[in-house]
Amino acid sequence: MLKGPFTVWWRDMIVLRRSFFSELAAVVASPLTFYLAFGFGLKGFIANVDGVPYILFMAPGLITMTAVSAAFSESAWSLWFHRRVQHTIEAYRVTPITVYDIVIGKIISGVTHGTVKGAAVAAIIMMLTTLHLQLASLLAYLPYLLLGSMIFSCVGTICGTVLNKPETIGRVEAVVIMPLIFMSGVFFPVSSYPAAMLPFVRLLPTTAIFEGGRYALLDGTLNAGYVANLAISAVAAFAGAVWVFNRRIEE
Amino acid sequence: MRVTDASLSLRRLCKRYGDLAAVDGFSLEIRRGSIFGLLGPNGAGKTTLIRMLTTLLRPTSGDALVEGFSVTTQGRQVRRLIGVVPQENNLDRYLTARENLVLHARMHGMAPSAYDRRIDELLEMTGLASRQHDFTDTYSGGMQRRLVVARALIHDPRILFLDEPTTGLDPQSRRAVWDHVQSLTAQMTVFLTTHYMDEADTLCDRIVIMDHGRALVDGSAAELKERLAHAHRYELQLKGGGDRYEAVLRGLPFVTELKRDGDLFCVALAGEECLKPLLDAIGNADLKSVSLREPTLEDVFIELTGRAVRE
Ligand SMILES: Nc1ncnc2c1ncn2[C@@H]1O[C@H](COP(=O)(O)OP(=O)(O)OP(=O)(O)O)[C@@H](O)[C@H]1O
Ligand SMILES: [Mg+2]
Repeated sequence: MLKGPFTVWWRDMIVLRRSFFSELAAVVASPLTFYLAFGFGLKGFIANVDGVPYILFMAPGLITMTAVSAAFSESAWSLWFHRRVQHTIEAYRVTPITVYDIVIGKIISGVTHGTVKGAAVAAIIMMLTTLHLQLASLLAYLPYLLLGSMIFSCVGTICGTVLNKPETIGRVEAVVIMPLIFMSGVFFPVSSYPAAMLPFVRLLPTTAIFEGGRYALLDGTLNAGYVANLAISAVAAFAGAVWVFNRRIEE
Repeated sequence: MRVTDASLSLRRLCKRYGDLAAVDGFSLEIRRGSIFGLLGPNGAGKTTLIRMLTTLLRPTSGDALVEGFSVTTQGRQVRRLIGVVPQENNLDRYLTARENLVLHARMHGMAPSAYDRRIDELLEMTGLASRQHDFTDTYSGGMQRRLVVARALIHDPRILFLDEPTTGLDPQSRRAVWDHVQSLTAQMTVFLTTHYMDEADTLCDRIVIMDHGRALVDGSAAELKERLAHAHRYELQLKGGGDRYEAVLRGLPFVTELKRDGDLFCVALAGEECLKPLLDAIGNADLKSVSLREPTLEDVFIELTGRAVRE
């Protein structure tokens, strides 16, 4: 049953394998810049946050940020490109592959991009600092990484399916995705929000991804509430992406 | 035609875009193993029709059966049986030519043992074997076209849809595609559209000319030309005095059409019986030869769809 999505994913992996090393510099540039600028540049100005040196505090957020934004961009741009530029989606659609196979394969590709690129940034940050991760932390982090990439990949899939102009996708990235990521605890604990806003902020899936991911990586703990939030959001985003793609493609 | 002979059967197939009926109630049966040609001016609805038959577009109403499977409810079964060459090349430029073919074979559920040899054969046939490991965006337009044709054949389809397969090909490649298409009909039915009248004339067993979403005529090339035999077109070759004779010919009430190229005239007459008065009017002095002009498929096409260029 998964043969169809696997074939779609297989194509994306050939392309990823070929471009991985040339793309790597672009992928790690911005998280690494933040890491060096804030971690080392502001070292004397920022005390421990939540009892952790700031440079450690923000490391998980940067890894997660890389993963989820890579998942979003891959899905959004890839679907747009295959639909509007290459028309390869139509080449797929005259074979026994179904519309579901295509969208599921594309979402898996987005998750793979997120995971692989997040792991690359993690490896570099670990080489640079004292963030030495235990196996338990890594295992605890895995659900956040996978579910987070999944949610962002599904949202990217929806954007790449409904938006026809490339500049609109760029705008969504700048106006929705990046602010959402930055405001969800990459650089500060969400407890900094005013008390009145906190209950709402804690309900955001992005908060669950970044806060939960940080607890996992720094303390090796799994927050059940956050994981449940992510699981539900992932299922909803997946259903939404499949539905939108199916409606839009089957004219 | 017995139902079982029909490879493709269209039942009042319609596609509307708002007020525009791009395809307007098309019904047709196409015999297995034949080469069917669909002709029509730009915007006639050819591509829309093919897109519905290949399950890319949902008909507004009506249905079509491909080897007995409905395009509206049994899309997956239909797609197993068809090969498609779309009007616009849709190759993956991030993959090499061979990888493009392998991806397509895998999408048809083929195993490497089945597709490797088949792909070698097709690359050989299309003359692309030596460039198979290059990315497709380094290919010329004609090479890309040949690769798309090869891709459509990997899984041995029962029906091959070709939307203007030879547009942009050089004469050698066009002939190679024709030869290949002709050699296929032992196993498959071919449905093609083209703007080249000579292509339709040489290749197709049966031709439909359509315009504004509707079929205008249906028959073999010979039958379609036969329809224009009543037009009585003659060619007159004169020894000289073209200007003088043009005035004479224009003055004759039964000359319905007149084209002149120096001393060569092409005239259409109202009826066969007008030939004698025509020759009397010209006289023997300057007449070199008179011949009946066989109508071409292009004459039929223009006659049916008019001379005006489409928007
Ligand atoms: N998505 C669409 N929305 C609105 N109108 C459309 C759409 N697709 C096609 N049409 C219209 O349907 C009609 C038939 O178009 P089609 O592409 O089938 O023509 P065609 O016979 O293939 O022409 P050509 O020889 O130029 O390829 C045209 O008038 C076209 O403008
Ligand atoms: Mg067309």
